[in-house]
Amino acid sequence: MRFTTFAAACACVLLTGCGDWKSGQANNATANISEDSRPAPTAVATTTAMRTTAPATKEEALEIMHERHEGMEGMGKATKAIGRELKSDSPDLGVIRESARKITDFAPRSAVLFPPGTGPDVGKTGAKPEIWQNAQDFAAKDADFQRAAQAFGTAVSSGELTAIKAKFADLGNTCKACHDKYRAKMKH
Amino acid sequence: MIRQAGAKQPVWDLPTRLVHWLLACLIAFSWWSVEYHHTDWHIWSGCAILTLLIFRLMWGFAGSSTARFANFVRGPVAIANYWRGQWTGIGHNPLGALSVLALLLVTAVQVGLGLVAQDEDGIFMGPLAQLVSSDTSDKARDIHELWFYVLLGFIALHLAAVAFYRVVRGKRLVMPMITGRAPLEPGVKPMRPGKWWAALACLAVALGVTRWVIAGAPPL
Repeated sequence: MRFTTFAAACACVLLTGCGDWKSGQANNATANISEDSRPAPTAVATTTAMRTTAPATKEEALEIMHERHEGMEGMGKATKAIGRELKSDSPDLGVIRESARKITDFAPRSAVLFPPGTGPDVGKTGAKPEIWQNAQDFAAKDADFQRAAQAFGTAVSSGELTAIKAKFADLGNTCKACHDKYRAKMKH
Repeated sequence: MIRQAGAKQPVWDLPTRLVHWLLACLIAFSWWSVEYHHTDWHIWSGCAILTLLIFRLMWGFAGSSTARFANFVRGPVAIANYWRGQWTGIGHNPLGALSVLALLLVTAVQVGLGLVAQDEDGIFMGPLAQLVSSDTSDKARDIHELWFYVLLGFIALHLAAVAFYRVVRGKRLVMPMITGRAPLEPGVKPMRPGKWWAALACLAVALGVTRWVIAGAPPL
């Protein structure tokens, strides 16, 4: 009997707390980021199309893979810096702007850095062969990412924190959508 | 009332058993969730494990006789004597006590590393990641990944020991951890149960501390 009480209390463990582990959000986020009710930007974002021609030489392929790796790593660093600012009590817009520029600069480059012939059979990479087996899906996901990066850049320019947080979360989702499916674990 | 020799008596209280099995499930879930890219569930799971660890630590002082550290953590002499077969009692034996402490400690380290870690892409942060630098968070994640193998090693040892007792010593350890009861040798005193309100108090504190950690450990 007394243990029934205890078991019931244990069930409460699952019901307590509410938080969001997304790096741009406060741990006990009260504002739901998806409730950003402002109208979507009317200008249709243009995206760079996927490069579909394979590099002519292995050197070129390795060069592309190198730029890809460095670019992705730079984006990771920029994302971490922004996430930490957004989570802090007094976000530094200067840091956010600087890191956001790295992301918006690299985003269109992403489309030309995944040509066929730059997979794991060519050199060390976290890019899975599935990228080229599902070229259409991959291209769609990359376009999503480019659009999200642009929208994020626009929000950062506006300087409005709520919008920045919302677009940052959207951007993170596009990173994740691609990485979950097309990135292999890579140790360096 | 006269107890029959070999009749089943309480040896593990419900909170201890619940902590044990929830811990096993949540560790498995933590592995699965992060392996399949559910990072948010993974972090929640870690927070739940934190609650269990805090609870178990407190229950080790306020719980039933077999749950209390003071009743089962022994020195090397007791362990040696146990190994020579000179031990009668219920609950964790002096050697098993080391296993309990090691598993709790290794799990606690794993949770601690996870609390300050951030993911590779900067999309997810542990609840305390903000307290350390970005580089430290990355380092913590690397160690968190490696430390899992240490945890796996101790779990493997634990399972091997349970199998050893079953096969070599003919002692069943799994059923008592489920039902809480085991046949006792004559003359051995059964478990002295804990208080239900003490369990609730421990749970309340464990939840409170966890919520404070989830909030990023703000100054009190």
